[in-house]
Parts: sequence; structure tokens; C-alpha cells
Amino acid sequence: MKKYAYNEITSMQYIFLNSGIQVSVFFLAMPGKLAEKAGTDGWIALIIGWAITVAASLIVIQVMKKHPEGTLFDLIARYLGKWAGRVAAIFFALYLFYYAYTGLVEAVLLTKAWLLPQTSASTVMLLLLIPTYVIARNGLRVLGRYAELVYMISLWIPFVYLFPLKDAHWLNMVPLLKEGWKPVFSAVPTTFFSYIGFATTFILYPFLKNKQKASSAILISDTLTMLGYLFITVICFVYYSPDEIQKYNEPVVNILEAIEFNFVERMEVLFIAFFLLIFSLAWIPTIYMGVFCTSWLLGKQDHRNHLRILWLITALSTFFFIPTFNQNDRMNDFLIQIGIGIEYVFPGCLLVYLWVQDRFQWGKRL
Amino acid sequence: MLFSNWFGRKKYRSVPEQINQPPSDTISASLAQNITYLHSQFCQTPDLVVRHFMIKQSGDQAALVYLSGLIDKNAINNNVLRPLQFETGSGNSEYGFTINVGQINPLLSWPQIESAILHGSSILFVGGRTEVYALGTQGWPQRAIEDPQIEASLKGAHQGFVETGSQNIALIRRYIQNRELKIIELTVGRRGNSLVSILYLADVAHPEVLKELQDRIQQLDVDVIINTGELAELIEDNPFSPFPQFITTERPDAAASQILQGRFAVVVDRSPSVLIAPVAFMSFFQNIDDYSTRWSIATFIRLLRILAFFVAVFLPAFYIAVISFNFEIIPVKLLLTIGEFRGRVPFPPFVEAILMEVTLEMMREAGVRLPAPVGQTVGIVGGIVIGQAIVQAGLISNIMVIVVAFTAIASFILPNYDMVAAVRLIRFGMMIAASMFGIVGIIIGLMTMIGHLIALESLGTPYSTPFAPVRFADWKDTFVRLPLWKMGKRPLGTRATQSQRQGSNRPKGDGK
Repeated sequence: MKKYAYNEITSMQYIFLNSGIQVSVFFLAMPGKLAEKAGTDGWIALIIGWAITVAASLIVIQVMKKHPEGTLFDLIARYLGKWAGRVAAIFFALYLFYYAYTGLVEAVLLTKAWLLPQTSASTVMLLLLIPTYVIARNGLRVLGRYAELVYMISLWIPFVYLFPLKDAHWLNMVPLLKEGWKPVFSAVPTTFFSYIGFATTFILYPFLKNKQKASSAILISDTLTMLGYLFITVICFVYYSPDEIQKYNEPVVNILEAIEFNFVERMEVLFIAFFLLIFSLAWIPTIYMGVFCTSWLLGKQDHRNHLRILWLITALSTFFFIPTFNQNDRMNDFLIQIGIGIEYVFPGCLLVYLWVQDRFQWGKRL
Repeated sequence: MLFSNWFGRKKYRSVPEQINQPPSDTISASLAQNITYLHSQFCQTPDLVVRHFMIKQSGDQAALVYLSGLIDKNAINNNVLRPLQFETGSGNSEYGFTINVGQINPLLSWPQIESAILHGSSILFVGGRTEVYALGTQGWPQRAIEDPQIEASLKGAHQGFVETGSQNIALIRRYIQNRELKIIELTVGRRGNSLVSILYLADVAHPEVLKELQDRIQQLDVDVIINTGELAELIEDNPFSPFPQFITTERPDAAASQILQGRFAVVVDRSPSVLIAPVAFMSFFQNIDDYSTRWSIATFIRLLRILAFFVAVFLPAFYIAVISFNFEIIPVKLLLTIGEFRGRVPFPPFVEAILMEVTLEMMREAGVRLPAPVGQTVGIVGGIVIGQAIVQAGLISNIMVIVVAFTAIASFILPNYDMVAAVRLIRFGMMIAASMFGIVGIIIGLMTMIGHLIALESLGTPYSTPFAPVRFADWKDTFVRLPLWKMGKRPLGTRATQSQRQGSNRPKGDGK
């Protein structure tokens, strides 16, 4: 019997969900960070990072194929025992909450800095939590629709970024590999930051309507993410000089200052506001999935009560503590470290273990 | 014990007697006894007519009973009384007499008799028989079939639904002459027995959706359904949403076109509008005229409507946000111009906007309620007061007047009244959000609205289709209205089981 049949998502929804979680708040700073590590060759690191990510995501799919009717925890519970499944669920829930919270805080800080300098951070946080609740309470199917819709209404954004190209200096990009491969490789871990999030497949997989297409779907979604990053990075690189780009915290936003119309002076303000829609794809699905983990832990079907509790905790805690930009940077660094562990290393180990286990039991059964 | 008895009796008494089971005993053979019992059931009913006479063919005593307002007098006089009283004949017909009416139903119990009388049949009691005959002589006051009032159309038919269910069904059947057009009749209501008919194409419409719709209507426990809107509210998926989840139309051509697409039409007797379900958000932006104007023009008008939706919802909010919060996005020159106009205005932008919007809503409501000759005065008074005087008095700025007027025009473009009402309500919410948090407030409002829209369902089908979930095949008839020969398939959003709608109609070759 299919356990999660009532809440299926299509391949397209899966692509957009996965890609949406990857392209999140973090992409604003990406070009700057890449330039810092690898100069204008940073885009090569993006492609290398993409290749590694694709490999890791395919491993995730391979792992999930072993037990396609359940989530990662059902799988671990089956292979390693009930308690191992629970521990995995706790770890995953914590990781997802942390992911969501980091994204949320970053969005709050950005909003406050660019749009609402007078309003307190906790109010902004509360504001962002309203749509979060409205969307997350309805389950995965609605989340999938949300991801689709956000992608569709954001399709015009890349075209706006073509405007600054009239002042571009394509010579910034050459020569390729100015300082050899070393800086490029050193920037690769930075790019992982922009790709993490695909481990949500561990939870999304059983909900997929068309599981045969899962591999190609994740490939498309990773590629979509990569193309988006590549596009924005190259535009930033050719617009700013290699030194200048490092001066900005969010070059992706600052570049919009170049666009000016007679009726709108500061486009970037409007953009940051609109970007909130895209950013929300980073925390709304992860919050839902985190809550899904805890509900799984307690064996409940309905995730809404957990969501309400989490919502209240987040809302109340912001009154007492909200990280500053620097703290948020450190949170990001920590996120990338555990992200690499959970999303790149762990699936590989798990696959090897499952493989060995299958071989072993196969031998025993004979 | 005594108390419980007392309470019990009181409870029993408070139930109106009509709802009590009328005596289901069979009809007596004595004519006089029957009429006495009938009078006891229908006391204080002066419009109940009992006409005694003798049937010439058989020599039996008989009585004809009917409610005088609900029958067709000509039919009673010429087709019932005249043949029975004066015509001689062999009397070998099925019932032993001849009557010139189309429908004769033999009835055997009192509840059936009662309901038949109340529905406008006339009842023939014949002495010595324990069966009575309900004659189809209905004829209640009726309105002529006229041009629809709310949903005006330039090129569509000039026939609108009337207040008689059977007539409305006939109007739809005129468009779909096919035996696959099935009708399910349900009666709703304990007191009124409203006749509700579901019309659909049996080989196209999805059976699950039909079952859902039928279940919901059958489970209703109400006194009576006065209007289609009541039915819609009672069976819709999310009663807390401002968005309409069903279309109510008063055009037979629109209803027929929706049925052909695989949807269901619900005809409520006595109501001049018909319910269409399931529908999506984008259905409210389509109009029957779209399909009879050239496709490129229809597409342009569609895009205009969608733009109008966003203008009507967001424009005043955006103005408030820009003026009071995020003024840095306006160039200095423009800001100076706006400041010049706003300098004299004593109110903050939000109050200014609310004042104007509320005035406008009031004028609109007044214009609807007043009789047409007086209604025009409202327009003139409003035009002068809002357009001229209030600006000269320095109460409201020029730009606010422009914004409000633009918003009003935009909301008039939308073809569906229910959707316009939703837009009006949401606009105020957005204005409040914008006045508190500027552009961020608007974006949060937008996100919440999107979150609400994608979670909505109409009869279990997603409301936000074809955008979320994406169905590219349905895009042919959403933003754009592609040429009719391109739309060979029925929309997926209706979950039609038979998707092919038409063959290739495109002239081949060079069109000769």
C-alpha cells in the first residue's frame, strides 16, 4: 500500500521545489564570495560544484530506490532498526529547521536593511511567518503548487538583468585560469552552499508521482539551479571589475542600481521585495519537511499541530533574540559544514552500507 | 417525571405540524370524507379551490382540487372540466374517463396528494375510488425570457434564464441536442422541496466530481433554497474564502458552453441563475463573448482583464506604500510634483485612500440599489464631488483621485460580479498592509493571497489550475484565447473523461 499517495507531487513540482530550495537567500552573495576565492574564474567552480552535486543527488536517488514507498527514516528503520530511524529523523528535523531558520533570518535582515529600516526585526519576522503558515499548513501538494507559481511569476527577472549588460566589460573574463586551477578548486566548497537542499529528496521521494523520472528530474533541477547561478555570476563578473565586486555584500542587488527609469529611481528596492517570494522557497518547504520529520517521529499523520508549535516558538523567540548580520554569516558557515556532511558525505556512506548489507544478507540467505 | 413530560410536550409542540409525518393512510373511497380531510389539512388556505361535478362518461361524482394561483386556468376549464362534464364517450380509456392533459399520475397516499397540490398539479378525486389523479396543469406567474441583466454580451444570445427550472433546462437543451446530456433531479429542503437539477454530459464529465457534487447537495438539511447563491455557499469547499468557488451565470449559452467543456450545471428551480462547477480562478476572466470575437482581439481583452485584476487589487496599496514608506524609489522630480499636490492635504495617504475608496464603494452600491433614473444622479453627484470639489477644497490630492478612478475602472472590466466583489475586499486588506509595512506589506499580502489561492479547491479540483499545478495544454484558453481550431481538446482542469472536443476545422491548403 502506498503510504503517501494522498499527497503526490508531479515531476515538474518536484523540479521547482528542489531548485527553489537550492536557489535561496544565499544566491545574493554568491558572486562576491566566488570572486573572493577564485577571481573571475569563479564560474568554473560553479560548474565543478554542479557536477559533484549531480553525482551526490543521483546517489540520494539510488539510496531511495531501495525503499521507494517510504522516506529516508522508513528506510533506515528497516535496515538499521527503529531507533536508528528515529535518530536520523531527529537529525534531519534539526538540520531542516536550522536551514529554514538561517534562510528566514537572512531574509529578515535583508528586508530590514533594504526596505524597512525603521521596523524592528521581530516584526519583520512575524510578517514573513504569516504566509509561511498559510502555505505550509496545507501539505506538500500545495507547496509544490507554490513552487511552480513562484517560478512562473519570476520568469521575467532574468530579462531585467540583461539591462546592465550594456555597460559590461567582457574582457574581465579573460584570460581564463589566470592563476591556475588552485583557486578554482578552493572555491568549489563555497559553491556547495548554493547547491545544498537537494537532500530533501530523502523526504520528497515517496511523494513523487513518477518515480522512474526521479533521476532525470533531479538532474534537470540541479542544472536549472546551476544555469541560474551561472547567469547571475557571469553578469556580475562582467559588470564589476574583479576588485570592485568584493566591496559589495550583495552584488546581485547592487547591480540593479545601474537600471534607472524616469519613473523609478531605485529598482533594487522593488527587486528585494519581489525576491522575498523566491527566498520564501528556501524556508517554507524546509519548515514543512522539518515538521514532517517530527510528526513521523511521533507517528502522527497530521503535521499542523507541530507546525503551529514551531511557528509560535519561532515567533516568540524573535522577540528575545535575532541574529545580526555577522552572526548570520557564522550561521551560514556552520550550515555549509553540516550541509556538506549531510548532503554529500552521508548519502555516499549510506549507499555503500546498504550495498554491503544487501550483499551480506544475500550471502546469508543462500 | 412531570417536568420531563412537560418539557417533552413542549418540544413536541414547537415542531411545526407541516413537518410532522402527515397521515400516510390510504385514501378513503368516500368522496365527502376525502374532501373533509383535505379541508382539515389545508385550513386557512383560501386559494384552494374544490370543484364538485359529475363525470358524464361514467356517471361518477368527482371533485377537482387545486391551488388557484399555481394552475393554468385555460387548461383547467377547457381541457379538464369541459371534457369531463360534457363529453360523452365510450369511457374505455385507461382511467375510465378522457381528459385532454398531457400528464396524469395516479396517486395513492395523502402526502403525495399534498405535495402535488403544492407543486401546482390539480387533483381529481373520483367517488368510490381509492386512487386519485394528479393532472399536469401547472401554470404559475412567469416572466418572459429576456436579455440577461448582469452579464451583458455584445454578440451572445439575448436569452437569459428565468425563474422556472424546467424552462431553464429547456433553454440549455436547445444548445445541446444530445442524449448524453443527462439530468439528475434532487429535492432539497424540508419545507420547500426546492428542485435542484444537475446537468452534465454523461460521456464527458468525470463521475467522481459528479458524485461529490451530488453527495454535497443530498446532504443539505435546510428549510428551502431561495436562490442559487445560497446553494453555492452551502456546498462550496472553503466558505471562509473571499473568492467565489463556483460561477453563477444567467446566460444559457454560457452554461451550455461550460457543460460542453465537461463541467456541471446546477439548475435551481425558482432561481434565474445557474451554478457552474468545478471552476478555476481563471474561469472568472473568461466571457462568452471571447469566443465570438476574433481570437487576437479576445486575447488582448483577456490580458487587459488580468492586468485589471492586479491594478484593482494592488494600485491603491502601491500608491500608499510608495508615498508613505518607500519614497526612495520615486525620482526626486516626480516626488516634488506629488509633494506639490499633497502639500495641502491634511490626511496621511492611507486615510486619504480609505476615504476615497469607501466613498466610491458607497456610490457604487447606491447606483445599484436606486432605480435607473435616480441612479444616474449618483454618478453626476459623485463625479462632481469626487472629481472637482474635493480636490479644490484641498481635502484629497489630485493624484489620489486619479488612482481611485483608475482602480474603479479596472474593477469594472472584470466580467464576473462575484470576482469583482472579492477584489474589492482584498483591495482594502492590501491597503492596510501597505500602510503598515510599505512594499513589504504588499509582498506579504501577495504571498498570502497566492498561498490561499493554491490551497483552494472547487469540488475537489484545484482552483489555481492551469498554473499550479501546471497544465500547459490548458494555457490555450487562459492568458490567450487561441483560435478555436487550435482548441481541439477539452480543458484538463475539468477532469473530462473524453478529451477530444472537435476534429480539424482548419481550412487546408490555401483556403479555397
